[in-house]
Amino acid sequence: MTERPLEKHTQLWVGPQHPGITGNMSVQIWVQGDTIQLGRTHVGYLHRGFEKLVERRKFIQAFPIVCRICVPEPDTNEYLLTAGLEELAGIEIPERAKWLRTLVLELARLAATVQALGGQAGTLGLGVVPNWTYTLRDYILDRFEELSGGRVYHMYIIYGGVRRDIPEGFFERLEGTLKTIEERLPALDNLIFDNAVFQKRTQGVGIVKPEWIDEMGISGPTARGCGRPIDIRRVDPYLVYPALDFDVITADGCDIWSRTLVRRGDIEQSIKIIRQIMRQIPDGPFCARLPNMLHWKIPTGQTYLRAEASRGEMGYYMVTDGSDKLRRMHVRGPSYVHGFSLLERMLPGLNIADLSATMVSMQTCPPEMER
Amino acid sequence: MKTHIETLKRHQFEVLWTHQQRANLIQIGIKAEQTLPVLTYLKTHTPFVQLTHYSAVDWIEDNEFQLTYTLTNPQTYEILMVCARIDREAATADSLHKLWPQAVTYEHEMGEMFGLKFPGSPRVGEPFNLEGWRDMPPMRRDFDTVKFVRDSIPERPGRQAINTRDYIGAEAGEKRLLHD
Repeated sequence: MTERPLEKHTQLWVGPQHPGITGNMSVQIWVQGDTIQLGRTHVGYLHRGFEKLVERRKFIQAFPIVCRICVPEPDTNEYLLTAGLEELAGIEIPERAKWLRTLVLELARLAATVQALGGQAGTLGLGVVPNWTYTLRDYILDRFEELSGGRVYHMYIIYGGVRRDIPEGFFERLEGTLKTIEERLPALDNLIFDNAVFQKRTQGVGIVKPEWIDEMGISGPTARGCGRPIDIRRVDPYLVYPALDFDVITADGCDIWSRTLVRRGDIEQSIKIIRQIMRQIPDGPFCARLPNMLHWKIPTGQTYLRAEASRGEMGYYMVTDGSDKLRRMHVRGPSYVHGFSLLERMLPGLNIADLSATMVSMQTCPPEMER
Repeated sequence: MKTHIETLKRHQFEVLWTHQQRANLIQIGIKAEQTLPVLTYLKTHTPFVQLTHYSAVDWIEDNEFQLTYTLTNPQTYEILMVCARIDREAATADSLHKLWPQAVTYEHEMGEMFGLKFPGSPRVGEPFNLEGWRDMPPMRRDFDTVKFVRDSIPERPGRQAINTRDYIGAEAGEKRLLHD
């Protein structure tokens, strides 16, 4: 395909307010007939200057800011902020806190993956599926509310560990939620994967070439849908993931179908991980003793820390300068790669009707792209 | 990973400093003029083929910008962080878009947020997040966010404001807590 659109073309803007667009972003496309010739991603509709705001606030005040970088899965941001600053400050967290953090991260991955599965079906007109999956996500949010007081933004992971220990009977209720999700999975499979429309619209559509993975830094289900077992939990393990038994799900079609299959497999793996945590979590303190948060200063240093979000590798680059505020924070979410360079490369040749499904299959998340 | 740094030195690249942040993360400092040759060498002769992250830090007190290139070895997931400092007034650096296509996005953003120039980079100068922005690049340290808000957002008449600093200070029983 050409770098410039052909002479005879129609220019269209998809978004920023469009049911087929994830969040508020827009894709400018040049089409000839039904075929996209060229596409450009445009962001800025959600820019709230998070990276600038944290430079002007004390470390403890950064919490209500970073969780808003990803609405469906805020906990990865909380974890990376805390773990990065703990590394720079030389703070060790208690063993139980590591298990609780892993539990919360996995619950967040589960909620986001369930939601994404429904979102994918929704882009192809299967409206019932998102209704069901949003309900399942809501059951997980009930557990989050019980644990942290918040449904969407939790701020449960804090410097030194977690904010509080689990309430009494929490694991029994969590087990009930997991069983409810498991019971619904066969029905979801029937609605999604046995559906002829879904099969026809996703198989061989939205191809990601395997050679792009290393070249562009593609990760998560987008890379695993090309047969590459890239999972930060396994390749660069953190918290208690090395002690847990789970499979890295892959598929080799490189298309939307494969990425959806990977997400479907991820749901079962997250449930498996959560059950192991419930069985193996040790007793002990849930938070380390820390200096006064209002006067906490961290020595000069810089680090890059990453974790596996449901969409792929989430990375935080943080620089401290000996003061009580971050000198610089830059968030490299998976959407930063998937939503700009990868999406723009995938658009030429795509049918206009497949734009939404292709974009959602990579779970592009605008707040993460513009921060 | 240390062998690759030694190889860099053997190839006449000047490594100004090295720091092992953690087992799989090493940071090195290089001269700005050697950025492109060093990164080209690392991509073509070592396993650090993936540009995972690329950003800038404003060291206003030194009148310099630091450019940080985070490279990953996709076989071992070791990270090599390459840092180079450039003059803050000139604010010009080599573009990496021919080495890594996704560098275009990072340079596009840094061009807008820090006012950095990357000659040859295809989209620097186009709006990224900020449409019609006429002020100083907002991620520079001397950009005053409070002044910007006061100048650009008019105060609503009759609105009662609580000074957060005084309020939190009074609650915590301390004085001059925030932003001082």
